[in-house]
Amino acid sequence: MAEGGKPVLLETRDVTVRFGGLVAVDAVSVAFRAGELVGIIGPNGAGKTTFFNALTGVQRPSSGRLLAAGRDLTGAGPHRFAARGLARTFQTPRVFGELTVAANIGFGLKFAGRRRRRWWLWGEEVDVPWALRDVAGILGLIGLREQAALPAAALTPSQQRLLEIGMALSTRPRMLLLDEVAAGLTEAELQEMARLIRRLRDELDLTVVWIEHAVVTLLRHVERVIVLHQGRKIADATPAEVVRDPEVVEAYLGDEMAEVDLTRPAGAAQPLEPGAEARR
Amino acid sequence: MNDRQLLVRDLLVWFGLTGWALAIPGFGSDFVVSMALTCLMYVALSSSWGLFCGSTRYLSLATSAFFGVGAYTSALMLESAGWVESIALGSLVATAVAVLMGAAVLHLRGTYFAVLTFGMTELIRHAITYFEKSVTGTVGRVLAVVPERDTIYLTVLALASATVLLSIAIRRTRFGLALVGIGADEQRAQTLGVNTRLVKIAGFALTAAVAGAVGAAMSVRWTYIDPQTVFNPFIGFQTVLIALIGGATTLWGPLIAAVVFSLLAETLRLAAPQVYMMTLGLLLILSVLYLPGGLASLRWDTWKGWRDDTRAWWRERRHEWSGRKAREKRLARERRLG
Repeated sequence: MAEGGKPVLLETRDVTVRFGGLVAVDAVSVAFRAGELVGIIGPNGAGKTTFFNALTGVQRPSSGRLLAAGRDLTGAGPHRFAARGLARTFQTPRVFGELTVAANIGFGLKFAGRRRRRWWLWGEEVDVPWALRDVAGILGLIGLREQAALPAAALTPSQQRLLEIGMALSTRPRMLLLDEVAAGLTEAELQEMARLIRRLRDELDLTVVWIEHAVVTLLRHVERVIVLHQGRKIADATPAEVVRDPEVVEAYLGDEMAEVDLTRPAGAAQPLEPGAEARR
Repeated sequence: MNDRQLLVRDLLVWFGLTGWALAIPGFGSDFVVSMALTCLMYVALSSSWGLFCGSTRYLSLATSAFFGVGAYTSALMLESAGWVESIALGSLVATAVAVLMGAAVLHLRGTYFAVLTFGMTELIRHAITYFEKSVTGTVGRVLAVVPERDTIYLTVLALASATVLLSIAIRRTRFGLALVGIGADEQRAQTLGVNTRLVKIAGFALTAAVAGAVGAAMSVRWTYIDPQTVFNPFIGFQTVLIALIGGATTLWGPLIAAVVFSLLAETLRLAAPQVYMMTLGLLLILSVLYLPGGLASLRWDTWKGWRDDTRAWWRERRHEWSGRKAREKRLARERRLG
């Protein structure tokens, strides 16, 4: 596990979630290191979202332990996870529809998980990437600056997905958990989203864990993939290894994936033009 | 209007209303003062109710529990302690009850929460009745030491205006934002870093503190109290109705509705009690159906919208009654069939 020597931000040890007789997540142990971009894939009902819920305190694990930066957070409420720098999005955007887009971002900033100011530094902000400094910064990053004054309910579904990411960013996280942020987007929007996610990792130095059904796009951008099947972790390796893993091929991907070109598309590392999403 | 202008407007309205209410005992008859007292009581109760329940959408029916606890505390304390101390203690005891009750039931939502708060109110009422019957041997208590009319009025006025001022202030704080977030999507607020459990209990306790203080101040008005009077569930229901009809999420809604209600109550209750209750019911139905934002959301455009809707409805009816609609339908069917 000791690759690169980067510190482990979040670690699960045999995390299990049961709903009555159904085992949704079955003894999953993984470690996420600082600065990683990890994908989680698996068929429907594999327990991906339940695993996310367990990772962010939304769902209390039935057994197993959760360690965030070495601290045991098993059984703690979601706000404690947010305070440790873990932010998440939800599969269906859960924005505050009646509040404006700017207020949606402002909400997280007000309760920002990570302590932003140290009182003895009198208001000097500590440890916050420049792009996350304020509402305008975050809106610029996700490209919704022009919609700032609109109520969030008035946004298009794809804009709401961006806002959902913006809300997660507003807690100024170290680690971002994205739950199918690209579901229902067009191909062009999907590529844009992938570029935004890469940018969050490359420029803001966030650890990103990304669940997605658009497997090819996901595999092209991440460095490590975790495959869940019936609640169990059946693979945890690089995309190139995973597509050749017989168990994964059997359970989810099929044979054709081995032939797909997984090299990162050119220009992926280019900074996303602010507002590109908004202007379309 | 931006935030600052809104704040100035709210403060000016608050100042004006407080000053106006302050003058009432100076020129009003006993009847007017008594009506204003009822009005102020409901302003305090429903504003504080709206402060928590309006923004978080937790429908609490426990107002009469806190009111009654406050009333009983001050009734017991007034013989040995001063007026202000009695009220403070009443408020404190109600707050303590709310913290316990909140810790027990605030993880429930919707109907379950509403029903449980109501059940706990009944539990407290019966517990006190039982205690009075079996231990003290009386059901009611006569209050011997009663302050003057104006003292009671000014106290309740102070409580009401403090509650409105509190609402103005809390709307602009992090705490207020957390309450709104809980109302919009509690889990989302949690994942954005809000300790929702703490915020909910604090908000619930704040509501109870006001209700307890109002109960403590109002108990002396009756000079004789028993559990039936001070734990009257109607106080709780009416608080909720006023807040809902006025607009529970708004600042001025509960206040406007409280004025309307106390006017209705005093004019109709004596003449025709049944008509009063029916009016309440009718107002609630109308406001839920046609004015979900409450009286405070009434604007000139709302009237125009209603007028246009009614006109469109009549146009449709005339179209139907003239027989043209049926004819067009028949023609369309014939065309479709060939």
